[in-house]
Amino acid sequence: MVKRDVSSLTPILQATGVHKRYGATIALEDLSFSLYPGEVCGLLGENGAGKSTLVKILSGIVVPDAGEIALEGQAYQPHNIVDARTRGVSTAFQELSLIPTLSIAANLFLPKPKVNAIGLVTIRAIEELTETILKQHAVFDVSPSTLVGDLSLGLRQRIEIVRAMLREPRVLLLDEPTAAIADREWLFGLIESLLARGTAILYITHRLDEVRRLCKRCVVLRNGRKVLDAALEDMTDDQIFSKMAGRSVVETYPIRESNIDESAPPVLAAHKASAAGVNDVTFRLRRGEILGLAALEGQGQSSLFRVLAGLVPLKGGSIEVNGGPVRLRSPRSARAAGIILVPEERKTEGIFNDLSTAANISIPVINQAARFNFIRNRKERQMVERGASRVDLNSRYLWPNINALSGGNQQKTILARSLLANPKCLLLFDPTRGVDVGTKQIIYQVIRKFAREGGAAVFYSTELDELVHLCDRCLVMYRNAIVAEVRQEELTPHLLLSLAAGHKIDVHGTA
Amino acid sequence: MVMSMKQASREKGRPLASSLFAAILYVVMFVIYSINAPSAITLGGITDLLNNTIVLAIASAGLTLIILAAELDLSSVGVIAVSNVLVATVSTKMPAGTIGTLLLVCLVGLLVGLTNGWLVAFLGLQSLACTLGTMIMCQGIALVILDAPGGEVAAFIMNRLTDTVFGMIPVAGLILAVVVLAWLLFRRTRLGIAIYAVGTDAVASHLTGIDVKGTKLRVFALAGVAYGLAGYLLSAQTGTGDPRVSNSFLLYVFAAVAIGGTSLGGGRGGVIGSVIGAGILTVMQKLLFAVGVADFYTNIFSGLIMVVAILFGNLSAILTLHQRMPLTRHGDRGYSAQ
Repeated sequence: MVKRDVSSLTPILQATGVHKRYGATIALEDLSFSLYPGEVCGLLGENGAGKSTLVKILSGIVVPDAGEIALEGQAYQPHNIVDARTRGVSTAFQELSLIPTLSIAANLFLPKPKVNAIGLVTIRAIEELTETILKQHAVFDVSPSTLVGDLSLGLRQRIEIVRAMLREPRVLLLDEPTAAIADREWLFGLIESLLARGTAILYITHRLDEVRRLCKRCVVLRNGRKVLDAALEDMTDDQIFSKMAGRSVVETYPIRESNIDESAPPVLAAHKASAAGVNDVTFRLRRGEILGLAALEGQGQSSLFRVLAGLVPLKGGSIEVNGGPVRLRSPRSARAAGIILVPEERKTEGIFNDLSTAANISIPVINQAARFNFIRNRKERQMVERGASRVDLNSRYLWPNINALSGGNQQKTILARSLLANPKCLLLFDPTRGVDVGTKQIIYQVIRKFAREGGAAVFYSTELDELVHLCDRCLVMYRNAIVAEVRQEELTPHLLLSLAAGHKIDVHGTA
Repeated sequence: MVMSMKQASREKGRPLASSLFAAILYVVMFVIYSINAPSAITLGGITDLLNNTIVLAIASAGLTLIILAAELDLSSVGVIAVSNVLVATVSTKMPAGTIGTLLLVCLVGLLVGLTNGWLVAFLGLQSLACTLGTMIMCQGIALVILDAPGGEVAAFIMNRLTDTVFGMIPVAGLILAVVVLAWLLFRRTRLGIAIYAVGTDAVASHLTGIDVKGTKLRVFALAGVAYGLAGYLLSAQTGTGDPRVSNSFLLYVFAAVAIGGTSLGGGRGGVIGSVIGAGILTVMQKLLFAVGVADFYTNIFSGLIMVVAILFGNLSAILTLHQRMPLTRHGDRGYSAQ
């Protein structure tokens, strides 16, 4: 692949001082960068680093709070996606923007497919056109009239990419374009032909090998800031990974005083467990252990958690609790086995909207506060207060509606609820996401204390630092399988990141 | 994220299959009906049946558009009531009463529809809640216009619209044919395609550049016009105004849409199914009457048939559902796809 030296050219797109915040969260801070015609610029960063916010700003979905963007020397402030497209900025989204109930042809030409004199969409004409377009873009063996919902995910992603390229953009944004595509050469070939036309491409990915393959230059974001903008030649993989993972400031972690009980049977163990989205997973979680799980987005971690929480049936292999085989048919049976999930989506899966914080804590164990099915308020209050004190949740938050609480306090509520049920094993799915620094500290301490007192936890986090500092051991998932096991002494953020990105590194003690 | 959950939980039932089932059901019921009531297959019988069907058919056609766009609308009965009392009060007094009144009721429907659409699309209110409001308001307005059953519908409307043309084609049948034809054309327009897109996935539609709000506004407006027209045709049949005439009508409108195979989740189905659904509900009532089932049993059968129709219409989806893992989410939509 020809990598063009473009530094002598004038930039086609130039962003200066772009800011964007959502509520209290800063998504992008003072971001400046340029894109040159005929180049592929890699945009790297961990989950939540601000990559998708940048994509949304450039494609007109989100308006930045401050900063200026110029496109070919002219001010560029798209109001919506159509606006961006007419200015020549086209995007293939990661969350594919195709409509499953419409045909490929209709999808390619939305929102304004060609119509005839009386305003009817000329189905035959657009299907013929689609046929040609698909051929030109080397997508074969699929009829333009097929509904997108009937296509495999990989094909859908191809259609999404073809659609973005179709409009002959000056600037093309590709957001994780190979997430579902096995044949990456297909994409690389198309990119090459666009570059020849002088298109500038911003290539968002977390796969460094793709960036190395395609780009001369890459930009790395972390916590909404640009931490690197450099030619790739001068950087080693390690340097880039450590830029991406970077040690975040002011965070401290509780002392790791592990109390792992080697002699007891494992609290939770999976043996060659398979299910939809989980391939042949084997691990043992011992009493008193915090077992980390590192993975980039969509590598099977949610499925694994859902299998362990009884939400997804096991297809093969077995799961053991305390040395005995169990069948986890439902979250209820998982609870009965002492396994409790702290779910990924706090807002939709975690809290009961419109109930008080106290009710949110006591719901699963409310029977303990009831006599003849009537709830005894004093008993409930005692129970809730006991739970709240374990997670350092101020009791003044207990009686208002949970909607009024910050994300951090909501998360404490969920933890309090989980602890009240006296679990043997907690499944923590990114419990510190969208939580302020102070609450994070408390969450770490709560988990540590839980483990010290004989509990065990599986802890998935998108923040590698947390995994490094909190866990006794860390598994890495890639493409639905566990690819590595890293012992505590060897845990570093960039080792985890490179393993999670699918790099095969010979770790001492790899499982 | 919400978007992808929705996508995943949506069944893969083919709307065609369910409206085909509805059509078969209709034919079966019609045959049984005509065996029990031989007059059913005379021109008069067919005209009568079509006259009885058309109000429900047109109202449910309007509702179908709304449901395709993944919204709900209860205002149909309110608009029908207003439309009915308007026809009963002004059609005999207005110059060019037939056309004038028609335009008037369509305008009223349009206004109510635009109001609904504005509340839902631009203010982001829940469609069920605010169309409940507009429905009650319209019923109130109908009472203000005509506080008791009465009034008079112009003879031309009453006679011509319920009769036949050239002595062989029922006018109601003609109107239904026009509705179906209009739908077949409409669903090939940009707006028609946009309705399906918006109903399937509003977020993705927005990302493709579809004007989601504008689409919803138009959908509500069109549905409003359909309700106005339904009220007009209702007046042609009753020949009088009654502010409460449509009170029992609401659930039948939804039933017709559901029987016709339009998914209440949006994005799947179509007007033809709903028209057939309206036909099924009507022919069923006639059938039960013909075989001598007492009036107060009809609801039991209506409900039963509706459940059966929906069950069969979704049979394929129900069967596939059990083979899928629950709660599939994009997080792991994974790499095994290829």
